[in-house]
Amino acid sequence: MQVFSVSQFINYLNETFKAIWDTQEVAIEGEVSGYRVSQGQWVNFDVKDDESLVSCFMVLGKLRVPLEDGLRVRLYGYPRIYTKFGKFSFNVDRLELVGEGAIKKALAALKARLEAEGLFDRDRKRSLPRFPKRIALIASRESAAYGDFIRILNERWSGLEVDLYHAVVQGEKAPESVMVCLAEAHSKGPYDAAVITRGGGSFEELMAFNDERLVRAIFASKIPTMIAIGHERDVSLAELAADVHASTPTDCARRLVPDKRDIIFEVAQMQQGIAQQLTQRIENAKLLIEQATQSAERWIEAFRTRVNSLLRLIASFDPDKILKRGFAMIMATDRSVITSTQSAKAEQEIIVRLHDGELNAKINGKQGKLI
Amino acid sequence: MAKKKTDIDFASSFKELEEIVDWFEQGEPDLDEGLKKYERASELAKGLKEKLDEAENRIREIKNT
Repeated sequence: MQVFSVSQFINYLNETFKAIWDTQEVAIEGEVSGYRVSQGQWVNFDVKDDESLVSCFMVLGKLRVPLEDGLRVRLYGYPRIYTKFGKFSFNVDRLELVGEGAIKKALAALKARLEAEGLFDRDRKRSLPRFPKRIALIASRESAAYGDFIRILNERWSGLEVDLYHAVVQGEKAPESVMVCLAEAHSKGPYDAAVITRGGGSFEELMAFNDERLVRAIFASKIPTMIAIGHERDVSLAELAADVHASTPTDCARRLVPDKRDIIFEVAQMQQGIAQQLTQRIENAKLLIEQATQSAERWIEAFRTRVNSLLRLIASFDPDKILKRGFAMIMATDRSVITSTQSAKAEQEIIVRLHDGELNAKINGKQGKLI
Repeated sequence: MAKKKTDIDFASSFKELEEIVDWFEQGEPDLDEGLKKYERASELAKGLKEKLDEAENRIREIKNT
């Protein structure tokens, strides 16, 4: 009889599994339930049929398709008992979706989940500056997409700094490669925008842009993101998560920078507008001065008229002139003026002043009012 | 020296020019200020045009570390 320690027992079983299970030749097929991702790197789910259930474990990086509960999958890997807890699980190396349209179904489910989480919210999208100064370009340096993007950029604009982060944009390595570039751009920034672009391709070729980790990385990017994938029928989830989604690499360059001819025209228009405004202002000032001068002249004229009439009035008060018209001024001997019969007495000596001299006279008598 | 001229920040120069346009449109009556702003606008417009005429886009590849 052989007695095992617990560890020996588990090791023994694991060795036995290894010996009898050919990972290349055998697979398990079943339905996914309880799918969850922990710490952004471990995938746990159960695979089941009507009667049985097996726990499965997987590294997130190995998961190439969007996974959801209820999907039918084929699993390649090996059975293993986890030493620490004695828990039996199937370690998945490769996972395939099974059945007609399974990938599209899984994608729709992933899209719905991310949408509910708010990854595609429109009001969260940032706008790019009108005149970007420095951008991170994540593309394959050999791709036509890269060539098209740069060509249009050079046709339209100048003075832009473009940092190219060469990425694999197709196949299994693509999501990781693009994510590494994006992370790198964050450490080398600041950038006004991170542009991710590639040419068009088949649905399978573009699956990298539906990778949940990549979609989340784009969503979390601190640099505003712009994604353009050439002529595709379905919009990828990465594009939906980006701040700006352009239809092609060419369209992307057009939306990133303005056409310098338009800007030169706009600057000229502004300059002309300012010149017109200034001219207008000078005209207005001239008009104002003219009006002020005119009203000053009118005022002086009115003043002159008034002074003249005052002078005439003052002249009319001149007593000599009154005396010349035949009036006389009566004064007492002390030369105080007698203006009323009340202040005169009979027999009083008076002085009668005429315009050319004075007469000495005596009052003979007096009468009251004549009229 | 010629290079120095293009050494302007395009976005901020453009913004300043737009602000001058706004200033004029708001109808500030100060003629002296207007003349000063007009001179500044001409200078900005010249700088912007020069920048677009001379500068090219600079593309460099960043190696992943």
